Amino acid sequence: MESPRRIRAHPGWSGCLLWLRLGALVLGGLCCALLPAHAAVKEARILILNGTDPYLPGYLAFDSALRANLTKDAAWSIVLFSEALDGQRFAVEALEHEYLALLSKKYRALSIDVVVAVTRPALEFFVRNGERLWPGARVVYQGSGVGMAGHQMLPLHATGVLAPEDVEGTIALARRMQPRSRQMMVITGASDQDRRFEQLARKAVTGSAEGLSTEFLSGLPQAELVAAVAAAPPDTMILFLTQFRDRDGRPYTPRVLALEVIKVAQSPVYSISETFVGTGAVAGMVEVLEERGRLVAERVLDALAGRVPDPARAMHQIASRCVADARALKRLSLDASLLPEGCEIRFADRSIWDEYFWVSLGAIGVLAAQSLLIAVMRVQMRRRRAAEAEARKRFSEMAHMNRRVAMGEMSASIAHELNQPLGAIRNNAGAAELLLDADPPRLRDVKEILNDIKRDDQRASDIIARIRKMLVKAEFQVRDIDLNVAIDETTALLAEEAALRGVTIRAELVAGLPQVCADAVEVKQVVVNLALNAMEAMHDQPPAQRRLTIQTRCANDHEAEVSVRDSGAGIPSDLLPRIFEAFVTSKASGMGLGLAISRTIIETHGGRMRAENGPEGGAIISFTLPFAVAAPA
Amino acid sequence: MNANSPIVHVVDDDAAWRTSLERLLLAGGYRVALYESAEDFLAASHVEAPGCILLDVRMPGLTGLQLQKRLAEVRQVLPIVFLSGHADIPIAIQAMKAGAQDLLTKPVDKDVLFRAIEEALVRDRESRGAHDRLEALRSRLNGLTRSERQVFDHVVRGRLNKQIAGDLGITERTVKWHRHNLMEKLQVRSVAALVSLAEQLDMLGGRDRS
Repeated sequence: MESPRRIRAHPGWSGCLLWLRLGALVLGGLCCALLPAHAAVKEARILILNGTDPYLPGYLAFDSALRANLTKDAAWSIVLFSEALDGQRFAVEALEHEYLALLSKKYRALSIDVVVAVTRPALEFFVRNGERLWPGARVVYQGSGVGMAGHQMLPLHATGVLAPEDVEGTIALARRMQPRSRQMMVITGASDQDRRFEQLARKAVTGSAEGLSTEFLSGLPQAELVAAVAAAPPDTMILFLTQFRDRDGRPYTPRVLALEVIKVAQSPVYSISETFVGTGAVAGMVEVLEERGRLVAERVLDALAGRVPDPARAMHQIASRCVADARALKRLSLDASLLPEGCEIRFADRSIWDEYFWVSLGAIGVLAAQSLLIAVMRVQMRRRRAAEAEARKRFSEMAHMNRRVAMGEMSASIAHELNQPLGAIRNNAGAAELLLDADPPRLRDVKEILNDIKRDDQRASDIIARIRKMLVKAEFQVRDIDLNVAIDETTALLAEEAALRGVTIRAELVAGLPQVCADAVEVKQVVVNLALNAMEAMHDQPPAQRRLTIQTRCANDHEAEVSVRDSGAGIPSDLLPRIFEAFVTSKASGMGLGLAISRTIIETHGGRMRAENGPEGGAIISFTLPFAVAAPA
Repeated sequence: MNANSPIVHVVDDDAAWRTSLERLLLAGGYRVALYESAEDFLAASHVEAPGCILLDVRMPGLTGLQLQKRLAEVRQVLPIVFLSGHADIPIAIQAMKAGAQDLLTKPVDKDVLFRAIEEALVRDRESRGAHDRLEALRSRLNGLTRSERQVFDHVVRGRLNKQIAGDLGITERTVKWHRHNLMEKLQVRSVAALVSLAEQLDMLGGRDRS
């Protein structure tokens, strides 16, 4: 049963708040400590007054560049405001009254330090109303420089960055790119802004006109314009300058219209706007908006600092830069080498290397690492093989020694076995001697004797040969062998030893046992080891009870099994799990290596050895050997 | 060779050895009998001809030493020369202690073999001779009458004629008469010879009754 909880305010809160307050204090203190030494960071208020649609891509790019550059100066803490007149689409003068009312209300209590007037309408608005709306504010102008020279009423200390509007340069660029072209199409709109550009174009064309036929499409409605462009012959040079309104007064977003034009154009389209060159125009002498933003920001900061500009250089005209679109060049099969030197080719097909630099680097790194790994592994493998060969050699030596020891253990029975035929030979020789001394010499008997001597000599040789086969120090030599035959040879080897110890050996060999792939000497060595162990184990049994059985059978469809069973007392249960370990033995003498070596031999052949106690009390050691795989017919 | 020539009995499980040995012995002028195993030898009926046994130490079934023991049990007295395939000292000592004539190692030099056989045959003759003599003595003893036998028993125990007469309830003269006859039958001329005879026949065991 739960104890009733005490009802009160959340226990942690007051504590939490206390910690928060403390934290804030500490943090505030830290901030103060970390701020730069001059505590006087001045606050500046900048108003960006855009005379047109501020969301045109060009102005967005410029705006972000401007902001980035303004905040770089750590001396100022800049607060940015922004107003838009959208003068292309809405008649500023008609709305002036309302604009004034709104703006004066907005900025009554707010003092602006610098106004950035973007486009001519904004500048003119500022000239008319700036004093009243934002007293004391300086102006930095950004926009077209056309007609600037004649302007008398520029505000005090006004500076500006003028757009290049390099129509002439763009036309020249077009003629470079299409040297054989004799046809030019210039697209402009019907608004004042548009007409201004038309004038620029006409002037430029008359300047460099030889052999050039120029068509001016001014203020065409979209459908007509698109049709005209589509119908233009392939090697035309199309100059899309600007179209804010067609002759019917319909408003356009120049960029959108340009896209439609570019879509149908079979000829290259050139432009003076950086943003158009990103959307399909081939190339142009443009104003780089990043640069514009940087330069305007410089002038704003100058104005904030109160620097007085040199009137002669107050208005700075940016140089136009050549920019080309590699995709459009490729699409229209234009030769990029015709571009002027230093032209910035954008959107170039980056090679795999460019495109995926880091990925490629990573891939190369991975490949290099892999190669290194493989090389290291190769070295390791070589070392391991060498080590394995060494180990095999050592084991071979040890196995050989084990064979010699086993034969040594059987030396009494070997001597015994040899002395039978040798004894018979001696007897026969003695008899022959006597028979030759008889009168007359019994030559026929002597001949018979000599035959017997030869036969017994062969017997002795066979015994020795059998032993020597076991003592061979050969390399591991695997062949297809008949296990039953090998077992028979082994029982022949062991016969004398068994007889000596009063042991009866019985071989139960299953008929038709398939051949196994093994080294015959080593297999026999294993059986000898096991048999000698077994005979030793039966030492204490009465002679009638000393029975050794060697059995072969098919263990399964891919292995043969040999088992050596004795009628001794069996393996003690505490020794049984360790019986195959080296130096484990229940014998008073001997090193206990025989079973370990035997098992290793079998395992090298791909078999297994196991030991267990049989139901009748003796031990059974058995091992498997894989059948030889029949060669494909 | 005649029916009483000594026979050399060869007991060995190795056929080649047996054959070669037979050849050698025949060439040396001996009569030979071959046996594949100790059991075969025991089973065979042996005419009591002189001879000796050439016995392999190690054989399957009954071993050479076991056969030696068996033969001793049935008082078969042919001398045994053991032949061994390898020098085994404990076995050798056991064999010699149990009364073997000799132990030779295979392969055996023929002169060594023949010498051993000869020594065995000599021993055999001697023991046969001794045996025969005892048998003769025994049969002579058996030829004594009851009374003669009684007198004999007392005489060899050192009893005087007078005492014997008293023991047996006969006259001293009768004692002298029996004494004369039994000594003639037993072919001895002195009491000492009588006692010796009794000793040989192992009749003097037990305490002197006098």
